[in-house]
Formats: sequence, C-alpha cells, structure tokens
Amino acid sequence: MVERESPLGPAYRPGRHGNVAEAAGVTLSETRPGSIVEVVSWPGSEKAALAAIKSATGLALPNMPGAGVSKKDKAGYGFAPRRWLIIDGREGVEQQLQKAVSDKIGAVNDLSHGRTAIRVSGPRAEWVLSKLFAVDFSAEAFPVSNGCSTAHHEIFAQIQRTGKNQFDLIVFCSFARAFWTTLCHSAEEVGYEVS
Amino acid sequence: MSGRRVSDRGRIDRSRSISFRFDGQAYSGYAGDTLASALLANGITLFGRSFKYHRPRGVLTAGIDEPNALVTVIRDGMREANIPATQLEIYDGLVAESQNRFPSLAFDIGAVNQLAGPVFSAGFYYKTFMGPVIGPLRGTRFWMFCEWFIRRAAGLGRADHARDAARYQRMNAHCDVLVVGSGPAGLAAARAAANAGKNVILAELDPVAGGSAKWSGETIDGKPAAEWAAAQAEALAEMDNVRLLTRTHVWGYYDGNTLAALERVGDHTLTATPGEPRHRHWVIRAGTVVLTTGAFERPIVFPGNDRPGVMLAGAAQRYAAEFGVLPGRRIALFTNNDSAYAAAAELSAAGAEIAAIVDTRQVISAGVRDLAARAGGELLLGQAVSATKGGKALTGVTVQRLDPVTGTASGEKRTVAADCLAMSGGWSPAIHLASQAGAAPKWNDDLQAFLPPDPAQPWLGAGAFAGDTNTADALRSGRNAGARAAGGRASRSQPAKVEAPKLDPFPAPVFEIRPTEGSSGKALVDHQLDVTAEDVRLAHREGFHSVEHLKRYTTLGMATDQGKTSNVPGLAIMANARGISIPEAGTTRFRPPFAPVSLGSLAAERFGDVSPDRLTPMHDWHVDHGAEMMPAGLWHRPRIYGLPGETLEQAYVREAKTVREGVGMVDVSTLGKIAVKGPDAAEFLDRVYTNKFSTLPVGKARYGLMLREDGLVLDDGTTWRLGENDFLMTTTTAAAGKVMQHLECLLDVHWPDLKVALTSVSDQWAGAAISGPDARRVLERAVQGTRVDNETLPFMGIVYGEVDGAPVTICRLSFSGELAYEVYCGAGHGTHVWEALLAAGEPFGILPYGMEALGTLRIEKGHVTGAEIDGRVTARDLYLDWMLSKKKPFVGSAMMDREGLVDENRIRLVGIISLDGLPLGGGAHIVEANSHAEPNESIGHITAFCYSPVLAKYIGLALVKGGKARHGQRAFIADPLRKRYGPVEIVSHHFFDPEGSRMHG
Repeated sequence: MVERESPLGPAYRPGRHGNVAEAAGVTLSETRPGSIVEVVSWPGSEKAALAAIKSATGLALPNMPGAGVSKKDKAGYGFAPRRWLIIDGREGVEQQLQKAVSDKIGAVNDLSHGRTAIRVSGPRAEWVLSKLFAVDFSAEAFPVSNGCSTAHHEIFAQIQRTGKNQFDLIVFCSFARAFWTTLCHSAEEVGYEVS
Repeated sequence: MSGRRVSDRGRIDRSRSISFRFDGQAYSGYAGDTLASALLANGITLFGRSFKYHRPRGVLTAGIDEPNALVTVIRDGMREANIPATQLEIYDGLVAESQNRFPSLAFDIGAVNQLAGPVFSAGFYYKTFMGPVIGPLRGTRFWMFCEWFIRRAAGLGRADHARDAARYQRMNAHCDVLVVGSGPAGLAAARAAANAGKNVILAELDPVAGGSAKWSGETIDGKPAAEWAAAQAEALAEMDNVRLLTRTHVWGYYDGNTLAALERVGDHTLTATPGEPRHRHWVIRAGTVVLTTGAFERPIVFPGNDRPGVMLAGAAQRYAAEFGVLPGRRIALFTNNDSAYAAAAELSAAGAEIAAIVDTRQVISAGVRDLAARAGGELLLGQAVSATKGGKALTGVTVQRLDPVTGTASGEKRTVAADCLAMSGGWSPAIHLASQAGAAPKWNDDLQAFLPPDPAQPWLGAGAFAGDTNTADALRSGRNAGARAAGGRASRSQPAKVEAPKLDPFPAPVFEIRPTEGSSGKALVDHQLDVTAEDVRLAHREGFHSVEHLKRYTTLGMATDQGKTSNVPGLAIMANARGISIPEAGTTRFRPPFAPVSLGSLAAERFGDVSPDRLTPMHDWHVDHGAEMMPAGLWHRPRIYGLPGETLEQAYVREAKTVREGVGMVDVSTLGKIAVKGPDAAEFLDRVYTNKFSTLPVGKARYGLMLREDGLVLDDGTTWRLGENDFLMTTTTAAAGKVMQHLECLLDVHWPDLKVALTSVSDQWAGAAISGPDARRVLERAVQGTRVDNETLPFMGIVYGEVDGAPVTICRLSFSGELAYEVYCGAGHGTHVWEALLAAGEPFGILPYGMEALGTLRIEKGHVTGAEIDGRVTARDLYLDWMLSKKKPFVGSAMMDREGLVDENRIRLVGIISLDGLPLGGGAHIVEANSHAEPNESIGHITAFCYSPVLAKYIGLALVKGGKARHGQRAFIADPLRKRYGPVEIVSHHFFDPEGSRMHG
C-alpha cells in the first residue's frame, strides 16, 4: 500500500515552540487516522443510519445534534442535521459503512484523503481554540465527545472534544498547512509542543 | 522629581522608580503612574498644541475622555500617534513625544494660527476651498490642489509608514453575564452574579479595578473605598466562574448581545514575551450585560478654559488621591454643583492651597459649606470665572458676578491667583454602549444630563451610568442588577455601608459663561478639534440647526475622544441659541467604537497572512521543480515552469508546444468536485444542468452547463457517473463554492423531497491531466489493472486502475483539444502518482505545464472559462445553445428566453487575431474606429489572450456585439489604460482543430 503523504509538509516541526518560559500550554499533533468517513441519511432514516453506523463500526452515536462518542481509536459525532462524521484508526472503514448504509438509508463518502485530523491538547487548549473559533469551548457548553461544525474565516472545521483538555479538528487537506500555521501562531503565546 | 508629589497618597508603588523620556528629556515616575500623572509630578503642565490654532494645551481629564494631552509613543522605531497621556502607563524605556508642534512644544511656529483665529471659524474649509466655476481648478479641484498643503499643516499626530512589529490577537468569549466597568456598582454587580453561579466577565478599562472607589476618599464597609474595591476585585479574580479583564475597554455593542472589547495586553511593558499580543480583540457573547460605566464630568465653557492648568475637578481629585500628585500648588475651583467640593477637600488634604471656590449658585447646602471650610480658601457664590490669565501656564483667573438667567458674567473683575483651576459643570452618564444597543437617550432635568434609553437588548444598568448620584445607591443598584442578570431578584438586605459627605446631586443648569463686555478670548467647547462656543453660534446663524449638521459643520464631537467632554455643552449652547430646551435640540447617537481601537487588533491573527494559502497535494513538487506560482482564488497554482533566462511568454509557448507535439501534464487538483449521491441523484442533475444526465451510462462522463435562476450561465464542467446513484460532479476551480451553495440551496429549500446527498470531495482527489498525441502511450506505461486503448477508454469514458500501487480513476476528457486524460487518485497519493506518471512519460519528453500554457491551449480551442462565464453571459452568447435541452425544464429555463437575453446583438463569443503582431490585453475594448482620441463606442471586450504557437500569432477570445455576424471583420483594440491600440480581425473562437479530430483520435 502506498503511504499517504501529510499535507502539512515543512510546516510540521516537532519540538517545543513559542513561549518556553513555562510548561507547554498545548500539544499539537496530526493524528492521521486511517479512515475519515461521512454518513448522510435521508429524512426519516436517522435511526436506521445510526444503527448501520453501529453495526459497521461499533460506535453507538446518540441521536442528538452534536452528540458523539469518542474512544481511544475511533470516534464519531453528528455535525449537521442527518450527517455524521466517523473517524477510525483503521483504513477501509468506508467499505464497511458502504455495505451497512444502503441507498434506502442514505449515502457514504470517504474523506480519508481529503481531510486532515489535528489534535489540540493541554491545559490551554480552550484558550488557543477560542482565538480561532466563535465557539464556546467550556466543558459545560461543549462536553467530551460532542462535536460541531464551524469555520475559521475561509477554513471549514469540524471539532470534537475527545478529552477534558483535548480537541480533534478536521479540516480540508488543501487548507491544512495554512490552518496548522495559524494554529501554531496562535499557540505561541502559551508555548506549544508539536509531537 | 518636583514637589508636586505628595507622600501619603495614591496607589503608585514608590519602591519602583520608572525612567521614561518625553520630548527627548528624561523623567522619572513610579510604577502605577500614567504619563499624565508622572509629568504633572515633574511639574510639566504643557502637554501639546491644539489641532487648529496650535494653542498650548495641558491635561483636562485623568481618563479615557482626555481631549488635549495626546502624545505619540515611539516603540521599536514605530510611531503611534494620539495616545491619551492619561491612559498611557509609564514603563522603563517609554519614549513619548508631544504632537502638533514645530520645532518644539514651547516654541511652535504653527501658533501663528491663533492670530488668524477668526478666519479658521466653523465651515472654514467649505467656505474657503470652493473652486471657481471654470478653469483648471474648477469645483472641488481647487480643494484637491490645496489638500496636500493643508493635511501637512493641520491634524493631530502623524501616522507612521513603518511596519508594525507587534502581535495582535482575537479572542472569542462566552459568558452568562458581562459587567462593563468595575466601579462600586460594577464590583457589586459582578459579585452578585458570580455568587449566583453564573459565568461572569468583568471588564475594566483601567489597569486596576475600582473606578471611583480608587479616588473618592469615601469609606465602604468600614474600609477606605480603594481598599474595599481592591479586596472585592481580588475575591472576584479568585473565583473560577469570573474572568476579570483589566486594561480592557468595551467599545462596541452589537446585535445578539455581542460586544467588542480591546485589551491592552502589552502597552505597559517595553517588551512582550514570545507570542504575547500587544492588543487582544475580545468578541464577547453575553447572556446579559450589566452596564456600570459610570459618568464623565463636564467642563464649563468660558473664555480661556483651555489654558494649561485648567482641568476637571474630578481629574484634579484623582491625580491627588490615586497618583499622589498635586496638579497645582494654589488651586481654584469653579463649579455648578457639589461634587467639586469633595475635590477641594481632597486637594487641600493632600497639601494644596485652595485659592477660592467659585460657585455659580447663590445658595449651597450646609454639607458642602463644611467641605468648603475644610478645604479653606474663599467661597465665592453666585459668581463665575470669566477669563483665565497666563501664557503657557495658568497664573490666575478672573471672577465676575453671574447673572443666573442670562448666563452672562458682568461687573467688577476680581483676579484670583492660581496655577490650577479645577472645574465641574456636572456629570454625564457614560451611556455610549447603551446608545449603541438601543434607542435615543432620555434627558433628565434634575441631573441636567442624558440618561440611558430603555434596553432593546438584554442589558441592565446601574451606578452613575443609570443616574445614581452617590456610592450607596450605586452599590445597591449594582448588586440588584447583578442578581437580576443572574436570573434572581433584587435583594432587600442592606448593601455595604458607605460613609461619604452628603451632597446635593443636582447641578445648576449652567453650561457656558459669556462675559458681557469685550472680547476675552476663545471659549472652547470641543478642546480636541478647537471648536468654540462662537463656532456653535455661527453654525446656528448659518442655518446648521440640527445637531447632526452642527457636528459635521463644526466637527464638534469628532476625533479620538468623540466629544466625551463636549457633546452636552455644545448641545446646550445650540439649544440656547435656538431658544429651545436641550432635549428639544436633540442628541447625537453614539456609534462604535466608544474609544479608539487599533486596526491591528481587528485584523488580529490574520495579521501577516491576509488569506489562507490553499495548496494542492503536489504543491511542494511544483515549487521544488522551479514553478512560478500564481494565485487562483485562494489556491496557488503553477503559472510556468520556466527555464533559466526564459521569459514568461517563451516558457508558456514552449510548454504549450510540447502538449501539441508530444505530451504534457498539468495539476488539475483544484477543480471543484462534488459527490452527488442518492436514488434521486440523476433526477437532481437533470434539473440543475441544461442537458440530460439521467441518460448517461455508468462509467461515462458528460459535459454539462448550469444556469442561474435568471437564465444566465452559472458554471460548466463534466460530471461522471460512477454508479447508478453515484455521480462525481466537477466544477471550475473558481466557482466550486458558489455551485455547492447553489445546489445545497436547491435541495434544502426547493426540493427537500429529493433523496440526494451533496458532499465536497474537492480535496479527496488529486488530479493530473495528461494531454498530447503521446498521452495514451504514457498511460499505457504507467497504469496497471486496466487497458487504456480507444475501445476500453473511449472519449468521455472512465476506467479504474493503479499507478505504482496507488488506486486511480481515469477519465478521458480534454480541455486542451488534444488526446487527453484526467487521472485522479487519493490526495495523499498525489505526488506519488504525479511522479510515476512523469517517469512513465520520460521517453516521450513529457513536461509539466502551468496555467499560462493551459490558458493558451484552451484559447486556441475556444473553450470558455470563468473569464467568459462572468455572470453576465447566456448560453447563446457562448454558442452553447446546443446544450439547452428542449425536452425538460431546468433551473434557468423559465427565464433564459427573456427578450433581452435572446437579442442577437448582445456581446457574444468570438476569436480575435492581432494584426499588428503585438500582444493583446485582457479587458481591452474592441472598437470600430482606429482613433485614439475618438475610438467610438466599445463593441465588446477581450476576455483572454495569448501567443498561439500553432498559429504563430497573438490571439484572444472576446465578447463582441453580434458575435458570429462579425466574423471576418476588421476592428481595433483600444486599451487606454495600457496605451495599446491596433488593428484586429474578428474570427471564429475555434482557432484550432474545430472538428475535434485530435481529442477523439
């Protein structure tokens, strides 16, 4: 199998950056999941789509706006009405979903190459992300496993809280390097580690 | 340091001495000083020169309302002008300069303007710079001629052209309750809301919370008010649900309870820690807002009221109490209300000699008589200051009896020697944010002030903002507002106990003192823009009665302070001139920003990168292989892969020739790609395209055209049928987003019954187009798992295979007019496949080509792009009417046959050949006469041009009236901007291989 090339290129520089006076406020990484897949259901087929997602991936997503599940190696959440994003460490999850989600239920799109997954974690994750998105990242408003769709100017982003101080961001890969650069820029104030 | 500093007062840190420079001279102050307080402590009272008359100016206020003491701060070689010295915290290494003076503050040549004062009255520019009716300087041209000189002579600070090295950031915040202002009312409100468990943001424009408590000298809960406030602020800062933002002024109140604030993160330090912004632009979305913004003291308008040494009484009190600085040694006070007596008492206690208290009122209460006695000095009731004495510093004031009815001062003149005059003309609640968020303010006759309007958004007001006139009331209303903002009820328990002198809260309605005899100098209303009381009356005499006209005619209330000290006095003078009441005269509504905002903070993290770079998967390869990149929307695309010494034209001609004669490859990853899936996908495409897609077999692609609802062309592209219910739509690079929005709108709004899902997969696929007679041979070498011969892969056919282990989808279609294929693979395999294809093409001399060659090939072929599909053309204009299905309706079909759209004489697509052998120009006009001076009307314009290697001529595409009917005609290019004129021939837009034999071969 040909290995996938990261779109971050030379912008990905492992190590400590920005303010180094104190411990790094955030850690930034590219998680490179094997599969990023979008599932769409037709109106009225939401439950059937969620059941299909569960049978294909084991993820029991709640039927609530923005609600999701986040496990060690896979996650999913609703990011728009009748639309869910599934992120899985394994490759080829799209085919499993394709089999489970029939034409009568909805449609499946493989976005594994087209999207880049970036993880922001650490005690200042909320602070850094608040610079870029008009989203309330507080734990009360944005609990663990929930996700949302938002944008940083032209850059569309889907964000899931995957831990108390951890967020996973999905951006279009053509914008990934620009977004990563802006993210690093925004994290300089609190100091950041790229791992 | 001079003896102006007192030892027992102020919150300055006397253990930390700070060195700074002002106008080249070194001074020292203490941590906690502002530039204003530090300079006053050094005995400096002259801070700058005024805007128009270059009058010497001192400091009028102690806060954000300062109109006079504006300075330029020089930092890292960059100058920032018009910073109020009253807001500028000193730090070691601070360098500041006074403004609007040459060569020096003490000796200013521009001060000669004072002699010509009457000339520079209101409307000076409008009256003076009306050009003659005829001639080279007619009309506004005269003004344009003079403007250059005037802009150099007038104005406040000078803007800098140096690059701003500072960082700026934006921060989004959400809270249940936002409290604006941390005076006693704000602290009480924040505490009440926080205790109720709400998420609270408390914003304070000063470095230290507390507001008036910092200098009132009152006692709250048995503690000095400043200590009480410090303890409250500390307690709030320790609460998890409270964010205390100091050095932050909330400057805009927008819909949806969204407020904008500026935090001055680094203006008080010489250097920033890495990544730390200088300013942080907060966008705060609040459930409820509590406005506790306090009140601004008003000056009184009288001749000479702008002489250095004349300041607001509250400011003088603040300098003494908060900064431990006496603004003068012998201080006179002039007031129409009780608050100045508290200032007198504080100044006296701090060690100043009180020369006199001049009160416009005949009768005052016993409480203030006690304060006056404590302060010492003469108490002159029913009198007014009618003039000031001194040069660049105050030496004394003239006091005369005041006629309370006419507001005129007359009779015997008494001179009171003083080096500082502290005045108070009453208080105006700081209702700016409430005004931005709501309706017109309401006049209160007792307070002689505008009070906030009724809320139109969820906000509550408290304290002096809401008209409270003492600290006990402010604490109560603040606490109740905080409780209500938290969804609770007002408390009946007693608020903190306040010990303060009992004062009469209502001022006398005196705004201006007019001497009855003689001219005794200018009485300034707007200190910052040199607008005098006479200017206001002149505006009235000339018919500018409306407050909006008054503002624009005189500039009253404009500039950096936005009239914080001048609005109400100016309005009062106009009302008096018109013989009506102040509320009848109206008020200006406040707009954002409440106080100046740095442009850098608005640009925020985008500072330095205006838009994000959108890169294809092969971007780095292009750059590494010598591509000159060019922007295409947000995308970066290779323009040419130039060889050393080659011109742009030589490079693209070489690349285009390679395609026509052998084979070339271009990165087409930027094309918009939309997955259209679902049982109704084919039906959906039939509706959105002008031609049919339901008849397209699986495994084939078709060229499609989309119209807008109004019948004009939206976009074109090919759509591939990958499965019965699975289509891949491609769009032009530029229109990808627009088409997606259009389609989503149709599905969501018009046809929600269709089972169709749209997803942008533009980024999922990397694309390479291989074109040229040898294209198939390259694929034969590169592709495994499928044949690519004409039978397996006919024109518009689709096959699946692998290139060097990476799965690919290949569609045979052509933009260049040659035998051509588009090879798509997963974006992450983009460079891998690109390099494999190039390696396979090596024996055939394959070359990558850029946008210029791509454009050349398509111009030769007569294919349209966004340059022609410019939102104004119809399918017929482009001779694409063959694509308009007559068998089915589609978006735009109902409107495309409108009379104006079927007119044969519309501008339509043609080819253009340069007859003089010179290049054409995109956007150049096509005209019928070969005269530079009178080229006659334009009959169209050139949309694209190139040098055509196959024709060995400069050619172009154009939209020309009549289109085809003009084929074979001679016309002329007229491009006055680039001075390009010359003969052209109008021809068919199919310059090359009109039958398409090459791409079908």
